[in-house]
Amino acid sequence: MNAILARLSGRLQEGQVVDGLEAERWAICDRVPKAVAFPENEEQVAELLSIANEEGWHCVPCGRGTWLGGGSQPRGVDLVLAMTRMDTLLAHEPDDLYFEAEAGVGLDALHARVSEHGQWLPIDPPGDAGGSVGAMVSLGCAGPLRAGFGTPRDHVLGATIVTGDGRLLRLGGKVVKNVAGFDLLKLVAGSWGTLGVITKVTARLHPLPEVDKTLLFKCRDATECATLASLIIGAPVLLAAVEVLIPGDREEGQSDSTPLVAVRVLESAAAVSQAESVVTEQAGTSPFRCLEGEESRAIFANVQSMEEGAELVLRLSLLPSRLPELATMAQELVDLCDPDVGWGARLAGHAPSGILRVMISRLDRREGGLDRVLAVLERLRLSLEAESGSLVISEGPQDVVGPLGAWGDVGSAAALMAGLQREFDPGAILSQGRLGP
Amino acid sequence: MQSSLPKALGNDLRRVVGDDWVLTEPDRLLAYESDGLTAYRMLPGAVVLPKDTDEVSRVLRLLSEAGVTVVPRGAGTGLSGGALAGADSVMIGTARMKRIIEVDPVNRLALVQPGVVNADLSAAAAPFDLYYAPDPSSQSACTLGGNVAENSGGPHCLKYGVTSRYVTGLTVVTYDGDVLRLGGFGRELGSYDLVGVFVGSEGCFGIATEIEIRLLPRPEAVRTILGIFDRIEDAGRAVTAIMAAGLLPAALEIIDGPTIRAVEASVFAAGYPTDAEAALVVEFDGLETGLSRDVERATVKCTEEGAREVRAAETPEERLALWQGRKKAFGAMGRIASDLLVQDATVPRSRLPEVLGRISDIGRRYDLTIANVFHAGDGNLHPNILFDRANADEMERVERASKEIMATCVEAGGTITGEHGVGIDKRDYMTLVYGDDELEAMRGVKAVFDPMGGMNPGKVLPDPPTPSP
Repeated sequence: MNAILARLSGRLQEGQVVDGLEAERWAICDRVPKAVAFPENEEQVAELLSIANEEGWHCVPCGRGTWLGGGSQPRGVDLVLAMTRMDTLLAHEPDDLYFEAEAGVGLDALHARVSEHGQWLPIDPPGDAGGSVGAMVSLGCAGPLRAGFGTPRDHVLGATIVTGDGRLLRLGGKVVKNVAGFDLLKLVAGSWGTLGVITKVTARLHPLPEVDKTLLFKCRDATECATLASLIIGAPVLLAAVEVLIPGDREEGQSDSTPLVAVRVLESAAAVSQAESVVTEQAGTSPFRCLEGEESRAIFANVQSMEEGAELVLRLSLLPSRLPELATMAQELVDLCDPDVGWGARLAGHAPSGILRVMISRLDRREGGLDRVLAVLERLRLSLEAESGSLVISEGPQDVVGPLGAWGDVGSAAALMAGLQREFDPGAILSQGRLGP
Repeated sequence: MQSSLPKALGNDLRRVVGDDWVLTEPDRLLAYESDGLTAYRMLPGAVVLPKDTDEVSRVLRLLSEAGVTVVPRGAGTGLSGGALAGADSVMIGTARMKRIIEVDPVNRLALVQPGVVNADLSAAAAPFDLYYAPDPSSQSACTLGGNVAENSGGPHCLKYGVTSRYVTGLTVVTYDGDVLRLGGFGRELGSYDLVGVFVGSEGCFGIATEIEIRLLPRPEAVRTILGIFDRIEDAGRAVTAIMAAGLLPAALEIIDGPTIRAVEASVFAAGYPTDAEAALVVEFDGLETGLSRDVERATVKCTEEGAREVRAAETPEERLALWQGRKKAFGAMGRIASDLLVQDATVPRSRLPEVLGRISDIGRRYDLTIANVFHAGDGNLHPNILFDRANADEMERVERASKEIMATCVEAGGTITGEHGVGIDKRDYMTLVYGDDELEAMRGVKAVFDPMGGMNPGKVLPDPPTPSP
């Protein structure tokens, strides 16, 4: 039995802390924790963190284990705090359009419950639909719907966190307008577990749209897709998502692997056909297909799972008007693919946000391939940063993420970040190094 | 009273901004003695009016080196006493920073200086069929810098969200004069959401000198209806019914009986029936074809909840008339009482009927006239207490009633301020919603941005509890 297990076993019930083989599945950026604890309430989270402070253990909070690979590798992973046992939906108030959930509630479970009342949380992060509410907030993850609805920071009304030194903070509340005091919730959303362990989340819900429709436009290549998408986002109507979708050149089992622009329109039944014609007019061409209801949801569910099986996932960004340039730059990245293995490189862009995701099935590591990968990525990151853009490695092997870091330059934010981290986690035990330069 | 600003410091400041832009004469400082909450008044030691980031930075460096505290101020329309400076503080006004640096219609972004008036940005974006969504009632006067400081709302935030949804990047100068560039659309930074935490920091973290803002396409069409109710609780229930039906109006505003009567007795008379106890403005915007049915469904909900009449605006003029009672409410109330205390609390919207009833009980108990006009869809109440400051007994009752209203709203699951901010006015109410640990964490975050504590001291947070001996 390892030392962490020995120290914790008296404090927790049997099965609430595991090590060895059972801990392997909870590896954070390939780093297998010495132990994984499954706290059942906030008091246990606080107790675990206070012991960790005494012992100097590096801790990483996580939800249900969906997004363990993102960010930079933490400097140490002694103890993972997984929130799977804190998975109670505490409240759903349909009349007030909000829910309150323990951090470990899965997004799929949440949707199943709130959709009974014709409501939903319009956030569609990449990856398994069972990712937890707490992790989604902590990582600030979002997908194509960010165009119409924003990212987690725009949905969260309140949260409870346990800071690195074990303080329980109840931030925000359950009302949509709240300016009482400084908005620490904004810091928590997207903090990657570096400020505290999120234990509860309250967020606003939206009514499910009457009509869910996706207009598909066909293009010849990535640049043409990006050009069309940047045109469509100028349509004088609020669109839920405008997504550029370019399948890998060796995708198998796909009946249709054409580059597409997918425009998602969520409207009332009365307004949807007008929205459709506004988009068509703006595009200057008609969609080759329209998907409605289940089919429309399905194509965007596919977008959520596009990163599956990729060895390297990048997020390039620039202002939306420059999406065509991003698409052209991404072509250079396609050359980093192993020509013999895997499906090649997929591209998927959130056009209204100026973000282009590049998913590479297998990196070409032959004859100094890795050095070339590092050189290309570094050069591309610098040139994007010079244009006020960015390159984030959202998932990748450690021989790539390690030398480059997941994130680029954070500019003048660095000193403030360090100060804030000290404020919330004076013992420097939480997810050290996962976020930031 | 002579300004307490040391002469040498005054001269240094003049060298940075020019002689005309350092005000120290008491008669010129008078215009800066209060913000929109006139119950609090004090004269600042001096007012400095820099013109850009560089001047702000040099001014702040001088002041922080001299240990003089700073209070930023936009147009002074704030309603929580946030822009109040005492004789030992220097106020930094943004009145000269009025430049719209860029409107980028393709990316739907604007870059502005903080002194730009909210409505002027929408006007500048109008040729591109774009606009800036958050619309505080003071939008023809209030500045975007002030909106950033307060995280301002407005009637149309029900559908579109408040300021923090639209601010994507900031240039900020901290107390020591450092210039920080935070955020920026079109980039994903591996850092905390520093723009997000700065918005709503009420001038306590630094001064925003350039603001990057997201614009929206102007809705193609707008439809407005007005429901007239005999009981305000019914209007409150109609609000919940409309939202629960899955409708998302752009605005849902309630004007109560006392307010209606004040408006109708004034030059702003909007033609609301004076025997009504509530009027509910419901507005939808978006694509023309969708609106008729939304309006129909909302009309049915109003009628089901007991509206005696539902009026619909057919023309832009009629729409303005329906809004008149809402927009002119404060002006009209100013005419029937010498003083007005505007409160600003939020409750979960389903609790509105009950909370409104309790507020009217409080009014009766303290023998005060309370008029409610508010953003009902967001549950954001504005109970206005009418009083006469010369009447000491009444003043005392106002204070007690005010505190009780706040406690009632918090008890109902709400909070002490939805959009006006804490400033100096609600500092003491902060303990109603936060415990010591939360307040201490907020103090800690402020100290990260402002380790010397020179930015807008004495605002937002109550003084830390004194350790027991």
